[in-house]
Amino acid sequence: MTAYIQFLIDVLSLGGAYALMALGLVIVYGILRLVNFAYGELIMVTGYTMFLLGGSALPWIVMAAIGVFMAILAGIATDYVAFRPVRAKSVTAVLITSFAFSTLLQNAALLFISPRPRNVPLPDIFSETVHFAGIVTPARNLITIATAVILLAVFAWVMKRTVLGIAMRAAATHFTMARMLGVPANLIISTAFAISGFLAGIVSLFWIGRIGSVVPGIGLEPLLVAFIATVIGGMRSLQGAVLGGFLLAFIDTGLNYSLPQDLLKFRDAFTFSLVILILLWRPAGLMKGPASGQRT
Amino acid sequence: MLDVAALELRYGAIRAVRDVSLTVGEGELVALLGANGAGKSSTLRAIAGAHKPASGTIRLNGEDVTNQSPERMVRKGVAMVPETRDVFPDLTIAENLRLGAFTRRSDEAGVEEDMGKMFRLFPILSERAEQAAGTLSGGEQQMLVIARALMSRPRLLLLDEPSLGLAPTIVGRIFDMIAELKGSGLTMLLVEQNAAKALAVADRAYVMRSGEIAAEGTAADIAAASDLKTLYLGD
Amino acid sequence: MAGMKDTALTLAILIALVVALVVGAEIAEIRLFGRIATNLCISLVLVLGLQVFMGNSGILSFAHIGFMGVGAYTSAVLTIPAQMKGMALPDLYPILAAIQLSPYIAILIGGLTAAVVAALVSYPLMRLSDAAAVITSFALLVVLHTVMLHWSEVTNGPRTLFGIPKATDLYLAAGIAILAIIGAMLFRESRTGLLLRATRDDETAAGAIGADVSRLRWKAFIISALFAGIGGALWGHFITSFSPKAFYLRETFVILGMLVIGGAPTVSGAVIGVFLVTFSFEALRAVEASLNAARIFTGQVVGLTEIVLALAMIAILILRPGGLFATMEIGVLLGRWRTKVSEGEKR
Repeated sequence: MTAYIQFLIDVLSLGGAYALMALGLVIVYGILRLVNFAYGELIMVTGYTMFLLGGSALPWIVMAAIGVFMAILAGIATDYVAFRPVRAKSVTAVLITSFAFSTLLQNAALLFISPRPRNVPLPDIFSETVHFAGIVTPARNLITIATAVILLAVFAWVMKRTVLGIAMRAAATHFTMARMLGVPANLIISTAFAISGFLAGIVSLFWIGRIGSVVPGIGLEPLLVAFIATVIGGMRSLQGAVLGGFLLAFIDTGLNYSLPQDLLKFRDAFTFSLVILILLWRPAGLMKGPASGQRT
Repeated sequence: MLDVAALELRYGAIRAVRDVSLTVGEGELVALLGANGAGKSSTLRAIAGAHKPASGTIRLNGEDVTNQSPERMVRKGVAMVPETRDVFPDLTIAENLRLGAFTRRSDEAGVEEDMGKMFRLFPILSERAEQAAGTLSGGEQQMLVIARALMSRPRLLLLDEPSLGLAPTIVGRIFDMIAELKGSGLTMLLVEQNAAKALAVADRAYVMRSGEIAAEGTAADIAAASDLKTLYLGD
Repeated sequence: MAGMKDTALTLAILIALVVALVVGAEIAEIRLFGRIATNLCISLVLVLGLQVFMGNSGILSFAHIGFMGVGAYTSAVLTIPAQMKGMALPDLYPILAAIQLSPYIAILIGGLTAAVVAALVSYPLMRLSDAAAVITSFALLVVLHTVMLHWSEVTNGPRTLFGIPKATDLYLAAGIAILAIIGAMLFRESRTGLLLRATRDDETAAGAIGADVSRLRWKAFIISALFAGIGGALWGHFITSFSPKAFYLRETFVILGMLVIGGAPTVSGAVIGVFLVTFSFEALRAVEASLNAARIFTGQVVGLTEIVLALAMIAILILRPGGLFATMEIGVLLGRWRTKVSEGEKR
């Protein structure tokens, strides 16, 4: 029994982080039909912000808030640098510019800070362990689950009940028609990038919380997670992204538990094989997105 | 209210609309007629701000709005109902309507009042208010997009082929609706292939052919013109 | 559509460029130039492989360098001399430990192995929507890299694999590069290539004339992996030691940059892109080196070349979204210019 609870906690906490990560990616893709390759770097930005603030006397929560804020700024910057100038040209152009921007950011960190890992301040509560139902788990996991649940609920509420949320969903279906109802195009896009940055910033706190330090390439793994979760969930569905995130966490954790020791290092290869099987069965992902609209 | 002068529209190198001038006075219903591909929809889209003119001017109440974006045009009181009837299929009817009032979203009371008005005007919509708009029939969707456009309390309503693809009885209802709106004083520019229906309800009309204005006059004059077929198709 | 004459002219020009490179390097007699030239030719093979898939299908593939690694490691395992194998790959499976082939054969086998892996792994991916396909290709790169990193028996894990016989010289690299140019062009103008390009431009219409998009993409992907594998093996036999680090994001970024700047849809674009970026890189590297030598900055200046390449890519995509040779091969362009000139003269 305790093994199951342990497994559940692991899946839910990892899934929560994965789901938020995937959501941040889909929210931009859904509206613009464009993939943001620089998304992982938002995690890096938060990490380095916290590192740079690490020496100050600020309470952790303030540092975290500033870190998330920097991720929001970086998200909006990505739009202006990598998307706006080429959005109208072609989908491939944007993929490449965002990939180039991602490289740019990573190398900037390499050049101006350091290629070596840098410590990131963490709140004590992260490492405290919690005992219940016969299992032991870091408090961080439970905080992650709680945060994910709250954020997902808030996000769903915003999307369904606020005018801005309705406008964003409309823009994701048919951007031009939304504009013809007076929905300001640029505001919607910037909001999408800002939300994307916000989610990445939050995930960053938990992601780095597991490792304790930041390197220029730290954004790669979360980016990959977001990618895979989105693809299996259904690229244009917000619920699909969340589902994909939890499913991926389930697969990863399941493999962690079940693979023999010497195969464990190939876990990603196994995960990917399972993902390929899912895609063979459902090339469009598990959940259908909104009825097809047109691109901007 | 609306003054279009020497409008020219291009798609790449192709000139779809050449030297088109038309006016719409306050409270008038003006029809823009012509065969497929004559350039009527393009003209309408240019007025709504969705297509940048290559040359010419568009004035709204004296103000030059030639290069305004669609969002700005809505704020200036111009609402467009496109021929593709773009409801947002996954949003409910209520959400579609609410979105139509996006530019007035700070006036919550006003928006609620207007939603009520729309539901009274279009009872079928109130029955299905929480249903996804994609489940509606063609005629119902047409009513939805008209209602949605009205939610922004426009001064000028642009209608692009509202009868397209609809059964005759439904078309009758749509035009009854349009007549009612005219009766309430709304200024409208109506693009239609169904000349008879359009002329029955319009004050004045223009006929376009191959991107140019081929004829203009009161609705009665145009209706009486025996060479309407020639006007439409050329000789 | 390119006529036979235009295609022949394009091939002539591109091959001449490679020949000029070889001659130039030989005349200069500076070892560094020979090295740069050989690397350039290897890059040509890699980028042309990428062009075969990306240029014709319109889909970005990030997995390419992964297949380069497959080719490199396969060829390495098949050619490291028996005596060295004990030290280089202590845990290697006995069957493989006993084999030692000629590098030329091994290079070919490396390419074929990459092609087979590509064939097996990629078929389901070809049915995905464009964005999903790109994302999944990225994941494929990571998986290939992970396997290389951890399959210590065959790759020596994250550590450097050494002892690979040096078999690649400038002439071999240039020769294979020329074959790659011809191959890429043949594919582009073949029935598969033409149909594939049709699907890139209008998928529904292409379907109407019987084009099975998934199969076409799959074929292109396999050929593209073949090029990558051969290029990887060539490189392995040039550099004689490498680790999985060499087959990951930085290299992906570089070949992508070369193709994008030159122009993905054309073979000319791939070739010109390689030349441009290689020469720019060497110039930048010289700048980086002198900056470090002069100790202008406190630390080492690192990552400058990548930053400049990133900016260049963004700039090109803004100004000329398709790259320098976005639609027409160089032979076609010259053909039209000649026609215009002669028509001007006639008047």
